[in-house]
Amino acid sequence: MVELGEVFETDTMIRDENLDVRTITMGISLLDCCDSDLDILCDNIYEKVTGAAKDLVSVGDEIGLDFGIPVINKRVAVTPVSIVGASACGTSEDYVKIAETLEKAARKVEVNFIGGYSALVQKGMTAADRMLIRSIPSAMAATERVCGSVSLASTKTGIDMDAVKLMGAVIKETAEMTRNEGSIGCAKLVVFCNPADDNPFMAGAFHGVTETDSVINVGVSGPGVIKRAISKVKGQNFEVLCETIKKTAFKVTRVGQLVAKEASERLNVPFGIVDLSLAPTPAVGDSIADIIQEMGIEYVGAPGTTAAVAILNDQVKKGGVMASSYVGGLSGAFIPVSEDRSMAYAAEIGALTIEKLEAMTCVCSVGLDMVPIPGDTSVETISGIIADEMAIGMINQKTTAVRIIPVCGKKAGETVEFGGLLGSSPIMPVSRYGCKDFIDRGGRIPAPIHSFKN
Amino acid sequence: MNKVIVTLVGKDHTGIIASVCSYFAENDINILDIKQTTVQEYINMMMIVDLEKCTMQFSEIVSGLDAVGKKVGCVIKAQHEEIFDMMHRI
Repeated sequence: MVELGEVFETDTMIRDENLDVRTITMGISLLDCCDSDLDILCDNIYEKVTGAAKDLVSVGDEIGLDFGIPVINKRVAVTPVSIVGASACGTSEDYVKIAETLEKAARKVEVNFIGGYSALVQKGMTAADRMLIRSIPSAMAATERVCGSVSLASTKTGIDMDAVKLMGAVIKETAEMTRNEGSIGCAKLVVFCNPADDNPFMAGAFHGVTETDSVINVGVSGPGVIKRAISKVKGQNFEVLCETIKKTAFKVTRVGQLVAKEASERLNVPFGIVDLSLAPTPAVGDSIADIIQEMGIEYVGAPGTTAAVAILNDQVKKGGVMASSYVGGLSGAFIPVSEDRSMAYAAEIGALTIEKLEAMTCVCSVGLDMVPIPGDTSVETISGIIADEMAIGMINQKTTAVRIIPVCGKKAGETVEFGGLLGSSPIMPVSRYGCKDFIDRGGRIPAPIHSFKN
Repeated sequence: MNKVIVTLVGKDHTGIIASVCSYFAENDINILDIKQTTVQEYINMMMIVDLEKCTMQFSEIVSGLDAVGKKVGCVIKAQHEEIFDMMHRI
């Protein structure tokens, strides 16, 4: 029988510490939609998505009501569109039509994002991959809810530097095409090394080709809960700190497991994974930076920050793994800048720099995330930042990502306001020294020695 | 059995529990357990109830309790028991 103290502990987490289920994401395979006729393909995609996800939002809301826990987002992830559209698309514009179809389907089923406008080119690009990648700026500008991702590298294959170079230009063009909205198109676009096929979080969610027809993946979140727990062990040693994070992460993840099982049963769709990631929002008290600072770092970015992120990421995994029967996705700590109020503040006062963020990405669950940079940053510099991040992922056998926003017309130190969950942030300065000759080499960086495990 | 946990938080005064219990009686909701503490002038109460015989939709019960809460000046929430079991039991 549950105890009074336990009931109120759970309720305090939900009411005061922003514990919520961040997303129920339904992965839907579009492989059976393929056709050589673009109109038929688009019809098939629309029918498949609107059919499979028709009850997703209502079931998500119903679960939220039954258990008294907010289910913030309901989303859809589809098979990488470069594959789905390969035989139907002859031009980049053809791919944009698929993006528009996805937007229409997302609106019909009332999900706020649909991910999977993606290409997996970690070893090389097909003609279709190239067309999709070139279409990304137009697709991001023409849609509101469609998210794109491109996998550029993996530990097994190395880094596709031709694609890294191309993505530098694509990110810049996407920023230009959405310049009137603070270059927000780039907030829906991410590049990866070692991407997860079952990641429920946007902008990087897609439904991997090795997945079943449809699947339910859930992402929980509760930075505020972890922060409050840590505040109770102020001054105590690392053993106590780590145990506290681990136990709290267990409790948070159990909620995700419950919601995932319920959603799977009610929608009659298999349960995929729970993603343990701690994802912040711009709301007060919903911040990863606050956790780092609660550990004893004055402002995130100060010496000690990387160690603090490493502790957080590892303990969240250790606590979460036992709480769920299937753990997957990115599972760790996100460190976005604009989406985390205290992270953005640390950037504003100069405590946090891109270089320090890069170091933190070696031990966090993803990478450079929601980092606004000056609009006049060169294409090669953007590619160079991407290459660095891909190298970290490749060598460390982890997922890394870059979601960077060259905000048109803004200089370092100015502020950009994205609104909603995307938040606001000062524009972070980037190195003024170039890497053009390095990026212009082209070709592929070979896989590292430790990838040969056979 | 269809167990639901009802929690109530607010400033204590006469008749709070009576109002909640009357609401349950009117709607065929059986009370299995009641626990409460009062810290200074604030009351924290938890009830475990059984909805087996109740014919109302869960959403109606949630809004019904919300209305009772407003009348007595407290926040009343109803949640299925599993969320607490999952979080606090291995």
